[in-house]
Amino acid sequence: MSYQIADEPHETSLGAYVVNPSGPLLASMMCGAWMTWPWFAFNAIAMGSPTKKKELILCAVALGGTILLGALMLALVDAGWIPLGTPYKFAMLAISTWKLAMAYYISTVQSRTFHVYEYYGGNVRAASGIIGTGFWLKGIVFALSDDPLWIIIVAGGL
Amino acid sequence: MEERQIQVLIEQANVQRGLNNHRGAIELLQRALSLDPDHARAHATLALALLGARRLPGAGIEARMALHLDGNDNFCHYAAAHVMLAERKLDEAWQHCQVAIQSDERDADDHVLGASIRSLRREYTEARQLLETALEMEPGHTGALTKLARMELEARNHEAAAGYAEQALRSSPSDSDAHIVAGLIDLARGDHASAEGHARFALNQDSTDRDAIHLWAAIKAHRSPILGLWWRFHMFVSMRTEAGELSLLIGSFVVVEILTILAGHFDYDRIKALLDWGWLGFCAYTWFAPELFKRMLASDLGTVALDPDF
Repeated sequence: MSYQIADEPHETSLGAYVVNPSGPLLASMMCGAWMTWPWFAFNAIAMGSPTKKKELILCAVALGGTILLGALMLALVDAGWIPLGTPYKFAMLAISTWKLAMAYYISTVQSRTFHVYEYYGGNVRAASGIIGTGFWLKGIVFALSDDPLWIIIVAGGL
Repeated sequence: MEERQIQVLIEQANVQRGLNNHRGAIELLQRALSLDPDHARAHATLALALLGARRLPGAGIEARMALHLDGNDNFCHYAAAHVMLAERKLDEAWQHCQVAIQSDERDADDHVLGASIRSLRREYTEARQLLETALEMEPGHTGALTKLARMELEARNHEAAAGYAEQALRSSPSDSDAHIVAGLIDLARGDHASAEGHARFALNQDSTDRDAIHLWAAIKAHRSPILGLWWRFHMFVSMRTEAGELSLLIGSFVVVEILTILAGHFDYDRIKALLDWGWLGFCAYTWFAPELFKRMLASDLGTVALDPDF
């Protein structure tokens, strides 16, 4: 049996669905976080990433952080600490920055394994069709609830 | 018997590394490690092969494993210094390099590696001293001459840089690194045709050599102002660590967004529109430009005349 290097991805039955991590990153801007975090998580599993655990934890932290920041911001708005208008926009910018930074960081971590995955001739699927579908579906996802927290959670980084 | 087999595999792997066939070297070393998973030298050599294949996380794990297995082996320290230099952990890299230098004071390669580390720590005088020592040990050492040429080029001393590059080429006329540095110097002096000649030579040696492709891309960037702008931006961003790159990109986004919000707040609608469109244009340009650049490069590299014996 050959010695396995620690950065090598494991073979999985989902290998046909692996995409370049820049796909979910672009989805965070075009489609929304509802698509980004699950897609990053799925990609980590499909690729058999040796850093899968770290990537899944990062996805959970990104989602948890967004919920926490969103809930905090809405509570401050309700309490009158953040007035609507410019201060509200700045608060929203903080949440957008959090989402973008997390998406970029997860993409960087996943890219390291993706590089090795490609090195061994792993199958890579084009992400454009999925992003296009996500772009059209985002209206439906956003309309699933009227709760402003829901919109904050599922909206994109931009 | 097993040790002899492992030694043969390591030697074969070193030959493959010398030929820039890192994949072949990695496979040979995996075979060696399947015979003895605790062989420190095999782990250290694997770290260097992985580094050559740009698999830095794997190289880091292997280099540390080698040190853990045999902390007294000079070669394990040499490999660790190389990997930590690539990880930009310069203090740790220098510590391991010092051990390597002290263990074998007559090894010019250790001194050249030390010079690379110290020049990144901006300790140019010390770096130069190490290179001069390497040249005293081995006059005409191509690595030392190439490094000196790069240092002079970075200091914009083009004449001195060209002198060292010429010496390196005289010493090893077919050395890719010497041709690449000579090409970079020609490019800095505005001699694109000569730079292209050196890039072609290096690409004929190895069409996948990243430094040669980098030189070729830099020549193209000088000739195409619009795509050249992206190349310069890319170089500016990629000089940073991953954390620095992330901070720069996210920081730019935040600054533009804050300015946009403030412009809206103070009713500067034209400035707000300008910022919105400017940012959109920047995003679109940085998304499409690398793709166009890559395609241009791929079509160019397809026309590079490869050596008949390649």
